[in-house]
Amino acid sequence: MSRTRGLLVVILLGTAQLHAQNLSFVTCPIVRDTKTTPCWLAEYKGETYYLGNQGGVAQDFYPPQLNHEVLVEGIVAAGPRVCGGIPLRPVKTSVFLEINRACSTILPAEDTIEAPQSPPRPAIGEAVSWVRSDGPADRTLYFDFDSDFLSLHTSTAVQSMAEYFQQSKASEIQIAAFRGASKLSNGEVLTEQRDIAAARAAKVRDILIGLGVPAAALKVQVVNEARTPDGINDLWSRKVMLSVKKP
Amino acid sequence: MLLFTPHPPLRGTLSLQERDSFQTFFSKSMKTLFLTLSLICFAGLAMSQPQLQWFQAGGGVELPKELTFANAGGRLGILNADGPVSTKGHPFFEPLGINGRACVTCHQPANAMSVAVSTIRERWLATNGKDPLFAAIDGSDNPSLPQDRETSHSLLLNRGLFRVGLPWPPAQNSNPEFTIEIVRDPTGVNRDSAWGLKSAKPTVSVFRRPRPVANLKYVLAPDNGPFNVKLGVLLDKDPATNKPVSMNMMADARVTTLATQADSAYRDHQEGKGQLRQDQLNRIIAFESQVYTAQVFDNGAKNLTEAGGPGGLGPLNLLRETAGVLNSPAKPVFLTFDAWKGSTEFRQSVARGNEIFLNRTFWVKDVAHINSIGLGNPAKRSCAVCHNAVMSGMDRAPGWVDLGTTNYPTWTEPKTWNEPGELPVFKLTCRSEAKPHPYLGRVIYTSDPGRALITGKCADIGAITMGQFRGLAARAPYFSNGSAKNLRELVDYYDRRFDMGLTTQEKEDLINFLGVL
Repeated sequence: MSRTRGLLVVILLGTAQLHAQNLSFVTCPIVRDTKTTPCWLAEYKGETYYLGNQGGVAQDFYPPQLNHEVLVEGIVAAGPRVCGGIPLRPVKTSVFLEINRACSTILPAEDTIEAPQSPPRPAIGEAVSWVRSDGPADRTLYFDFDSDFLSLHTSTAVQSMAEYFQQSKASEIQIAAFRGASKLSNGEVLTEQRDIAAARAAKVRDILIGLGVPAAALKVQVVNEARTPDGINDLWSRKVMLSVKKP
Repeated sequence: MLLFTPHPPLRGTLSLQERDSFQTFFSKSMKTLFLTLSLICFAGLAMSQPQLQWFQAGGGVELPKELTFANAGGRLGILNADGPVSTKGHPFFEPLGINGRACVTCHQPANAMSVAVSTIRERWLATNGKDPLFAAIDGSDNPSLPQDRETSHSLLLNRGLFRVGLPWPPAQNSNPEFTIEIVRDPTGVNRDSAWGLKSAKPTVSVFRRPRPVANLKYVLAPDNGPFNVKLGVLLDKDPATNKPVSMNMMADARVTTLATQADSAYRDHQEGKGQLRQDQLNRIIAFESQVYTAQVFDNGAKNLTEAGGPGGLGPLNLLRETAGVLNSPAKPVFLTFDAWKGSTEFRQSVARGNEIFLNRTFWVKDVAHINSIGLGNPAKRSCAVCHNAVMSGMDRAPGWVDLGTTNYPTWTEPKTWNEPGELPVFKLTCRSEAKPHPYLGRVIYTSDPGRALITGKCADIGAITMGQFRGLAARAPYFSNGSAKNLRELVDYYDRRFDMGLTTQEKEDLINFLGVL
């Protein structure tokens, strides 16, 4: 019996793996009004995908912006449609800087389409998708494409590193900043601007210094060479890794 | 000449604190009697207040602990929490520079510690334009114009605007992300050989309203934590304490502490030399930190501070409440108006206005530093999402946003930039390597670049720090550029800007609500 159950689990996992479909595309985002909270959607190859709900800065999902194209990177999730779209989870949306006035679609509320409950706000400092940690001495922060913006959670993660440095009487914080590239589902490759890794490193460094970490204790590495994108792990390549070192 | 007559508390009325003790002590029937008496007394005050209420710099009058001033909406209250202020020799009230002005010249108690355009006009008439208020340096459209003419002070007389001359390139960024060209210069100051962009000391002149110097614990309370969550960077720090500051005091956040503001105002507005002494700074800061103001009587709602009424009204409640609190269902921005829901028609209207402010959603769109900070564009929100700080209605995070009042095409000025208008128009062109303004792109026409004149960043063009909501009835006109002559025009702007679709009744409710604050 237990062997049968184990086999079933293996088959199901295999099926899930088989069905896990990474999508990466550039499009105009779409906002759908609802009776409650607006939903954010994106269309690709005639299909509509659900990105997330309108939320606050404490949420993990920062919605895209009309008047701008957006790079959508995500994994097609199982389950029913949400707000009329196939959900992508996790999903990262990177707003392109230049204006595109064609991106202006607001869908009206419909009786048959309801927004899901927004997920509870992750507590400040709690591990969220765009901050990863293997322990108190390290954090990896993930960024939007071509962006050095630190969200509430990523900036708080930097603060936690400064606090850990001071509490643990550490001698050094290593900052390794990376430039990324993204392979779109249509095969096209987008590479971040040349100086983005340096901009990310500088921003994190300035914050750490502002929080009282001596500049001499910061060891900065900037990796300008973007890794070869595979269309699967690309959104994890745009990062800053922080590591507190004790003497 | 002293034109202002301070009112001692009328015989039979109680001070705000005394009234508080009274309310907890007496029975309901006594309360009813008290309320009736209060109404009669406030009505009496309104009738007896002199028409011209002006603190002359160096006048030496004592500022009582509590006083009220009549205005078109009713009556404004001032509360000096530390007691009466002897203004003789006080650096807030004495002229310190060379032009005869004091801080109080532009921060008048009768005008909620700002200065209303109606007061400015009265001063022009009373002094034939000789009051230090009209000092050439910033009380005129252009210091090079003949100063005895009314037309040379048109922006101050018509819109309550003072000239703010800012260095170009910005002092904080010698390599700004944009170039600046003058498109329209109705005052001539930006092309002036002595004062303009091509003068020996290149200067960009914009014109702005003075902000109320009161209720400052709310203005100065920093957001939780060390970050400006909108930008993902650290907040500026107070050099004296090394602690984060709110960055919400000035329209462009160019200075962020009371000390640096006082010192810069001494030089820029009073034409003082050098720096203020520490003892002068200490006294100015001490005064500014203890003065509270809010409307206490409204012609429609009547007594705003009576027992059992809304808990967010009046200066005493501003003294009592805690600063730095974020709007929430448990603690709405101006607390609750439930007590008025079954009251008179006017009070019900105010309560509805509060509900609209808190809960009526609309599409907030293309507002830099609101939609661009992770909230999405557009975001279906209510007024209180941006105006979220309890008791002040400011933004708890640094509140400079490009609402649209100064930038084409949503600005408050004539429809196109080449039409005649009162304000200057600048063309700002962002460099190709810079991040553009998120909703206006790389070429922007603006009557006031706002925060961008400090940071040099395209994303900040037109961003102006939102102001507090208190004492509005006493200090028209509104918006940093004085473009809304009254609260109706202010509400109308939002209605147009965001396609809110407010009904006539909803507008009236919002106006009534704003008027009692």
